[in-house]
Amino acid sequence: MTNIPRQLWVSLRSFGVFFLLWWLLHLWNANPLQLPSPMKVLEALWMLLREGEITEHASVSTLRMLLALTLAIVVAVPLGFLMGLSRRAEQYVDPLVEMLRPISGIAWLPLALFIFGVGDTLPVFIMFYVGFFPILLNTVAGVRQTDARLLAAARTMGIGRLPLLIHVLVPSALPTVMVGIRLAFAASWAAIVAAELIGAPSGLGFAIEWYRQLLMTPKVFAFILAIGVVGYLCDLGLRDLQRKLTPWAEGTGVAP
Amino acid sequence: MRNRMFDSRRSVLIRNITLPVLLIVVWQIWASTLPPGSPAPAPLKVLQTLADLLSTGSLVSATLQSLGRVLLGFAVGSGLGIAMGLAMGASPAVRENLDPIIESFRPIAPMAILPIAILWLGTGTPTALAIVAYASFFPVLINTVHGVSRVERKLILAARTMGVSRWTILTRVVLPGAMPSILLGTRLAMGVAWTAIIAAELAVGAKSGGGGSGGIGQMMFVFYAYNIDLNAIVVCMAVVGVVALLIDQMFRLFEKRLIPWRH
Amino acid sequence: MSDNAKSPKLRLAGVTKSFVAPRTGQQTLAVAEMNLDIETGEFICIVGPSGCGKSTVLNMIAGLDVPTNGVIEKDGQAIPGPGADRGVMFQDYALMPWQTVEGNVGFGLRHGTPGQDLTKAERTQRIAHFIDMVGLRGSEHKYPHQLSGGMRQRVALARLLANGPDILLLDEPLGALDAQTRLILQAELLRIWGETSPVTQRKTAIFITHDIEEAVLLADRVVVMSTHPGRVREVVTIDLPRPRAGTARTNPRFGELVEQIWSLIRDEAYRAIGGDEPVPALTEKATV
Repeated sequence: MTNIPRQLWVSLRSFGVFFLLWWLLHLWNANPLQLPSPMKVLEALWMLLREGEITEHASVSTLRMLLALTLAIVVAVPLGFLMGLSRRAEQYVDPLVEMLRPISGIAWLPLALFIFGVGDTLPVFIMFYVGFFPILLNTVAGVRQTDARLLAAARTMGIGRLPLLIHVLVPSALPTVMVGIRLAFAASWAAIVAAELIGAPSGLGFAIEWYRQLLMTPKVFAFILAIGVVGYLCDLGLRDLQRKLTPWAEGTGVAP
Repeated sequence: MRNRMFDSRRSVLIRNITLPVLLIVVWQIWASTLPPGSPAPAPLKVLQTLADLLSTGSLVSATLQSLGRVLLGFAVGSGLGIAMGLAMGASPAVRENLDPIIESFRPIAPMAILPIAILWLGTGTPTALAIVAYASFFPVLINTVHGVSRVERKLILAARTMGVSRWTILTRVVLPGAMPSILLGTRLAMGVAWTAIIAAELAVGAKSGGGGSGGIGQMMFVFYAYNIDLNAIVVCMAVVGVVALLIDQMFRLFEKRLIPWRH
Repeated sequence: MSDNAKSPKLRLAGVTKSFVAPRTGQQTLAVAEMNLDIETGEFICIVGPSGCGKSTVLNMIAGLDVPTNGVIEKDGQAIPGPGADRGVMFQDYALMPWQTVEGNVGFGLRHGTPGQDLTKAERTQRIAHFIDMVGLRGSEHKYPHQLSGGMRQRVALARLLANGPDILLLDEPLGALDAQTRLILQAELLRIWGETSPVTQRKTAIFITHDIEEAVLLADRVVVMSTHPGRVREVVTIDLPRPRAGTARTNPRFGELVEQIWSLIRDEAYRAIGGDEPVPALTEKATV
């Protein structure tokens, strides 16, 4: 961490080489439709930013993602606590979870298209589904790995059952739950392209497909870049949230 | 958190199947209340469709086709991932220089690359392979690098003091030491690859107007857009799930064989 | 010292504990027929080889575990379960990692029974008082992972005292510390316990340790346990004068007492590290 200027330099150098290779490849390829020059892509990116088109699609996609993630948290976390605490609940629910989990969100697309049609609901549903499992699994794990001695210590201080849940179990499980949320985000964001490509009239995934059909390749590249950037920024935001909510986690080595 | 250690196996089993059975029964009842021509899927019809598809052999061949592609793409992607991972793990210079590029591509999902792949490679098998390879690459790479970094410095130093060549150290000390992480990476990659192939086949099927590639994803698309049959779609979904499970189990078995010292 | 008309502060009568292995159903007798009376203000140390049931006994007194047979009474009444009246200091501190020092010390006061009748201001004051008493003023806002072992130990002690228990249960609290920190904290412990105060003002304390010298230094009486199954071998009265903090170790009687106790445990200790008898499992922390 004392090498930040150096790291920046190395990054710039690597990207420089990357762009150079790209440009050379572009020259060699001779088909601008397939591989536009880096300059053209940057130009397209700049134009899209200026016209606000990228921000428009990006915000639509991001909003859908936030909605889906929130829904997933609201359903999966309480369920996860229930399953983690009650053997019975786990015995009832787990088989269903384990049967659905291997069926990827993508595999749901045709059926979901039938049920929801093209629109906002479809991407949200797919992202909800994809994000649900990591959060659930991590919540159960978080509850299970609660140090029994902390619970014992709390009981020797005369702490009742509900306060035990709220003041010991929840904070103890929180770091693992946060990791689950970050994993869920990564998985959902990866699914958004597929969902919007086929099933939405707007958003970054839609835009990629739209411009591909119009053979406006620089714009396709630009939108792909946007997906990467937004994903990266959101993850940074989540990491920050993680640090704020669970400041002790880094010390104990639970959270990455 | 009372532990009921003495729950009989039978009562656990009963609880296990309660929800799934209940859901299927409710589903069937609901489907029965619909008018006879309704396209909505129903459990009994799904089973019927399963039998039909199996008897014509189309289900099996489509599954095998997808699996073949996955294995090929996975082999390419993970091969590259391990090679690069070892290089990056072994040499801090390589790692430093490649890291910015790799980290920038990581958030770009395989599906986002699909339009470009179609642009470059058309709407056939090569595209599907490329997507799978791309998808498999990152989990393997990241876990390989992690695995190499966890190989104890002491082991490497010990080998050096015995006059062992660098190449041999790589193959005989680092590789086995990193194996648990590498295998974890391949197991994760295979899961991602399977999802990717379905997605690729679905999307490619959509683009190529129903012809072209074959495979389970393709089949699903056909049943969605051409021979509309929701029951068949459900069958395909179930197959996707079952295969995913089987793949995961196989990889776990494979892991146990290859790294017995860990189990 | 004991008054036969009044019940002792703590009484263990015929206390037995056996564990049943969940799969095999095999029974292990961890503690057999333990009888012990402890008076108010006494400092009792329990020593014994690994696996003799010391921690099991402590857990039962704390109410975290239930005797298979026999009864444990406090002030003449059977103990109902865990409670703040019998505070525990655990072997690895059991501090809440997400709470600061201040939050940990005040945990019982804020969420449990000890602080029920206090106002918020009174609670804050009490917390500050005990943080000060253990010498951690200035560290209130640090997290456990930022503290050294000795500091964490003091937080655990402050938390224990802040909850105002009338019996202190300490399960090898100094075991994880280096030797020098241990010496410092032993003196601290005696001071806080009230070595220099009259007997009636002292809390009743039960302290488990492996370290015989530590036991002789701290205790009024040392309960020597033997293993297989765990039972009381002998109770040795420590007739060293108080305060002991600076002076006890140079007293020749100190060495005699240590030797006396060691001779009681010695054979079993030898056996425990691989003599004629089969070695008990080294997962001592779980089974004791």
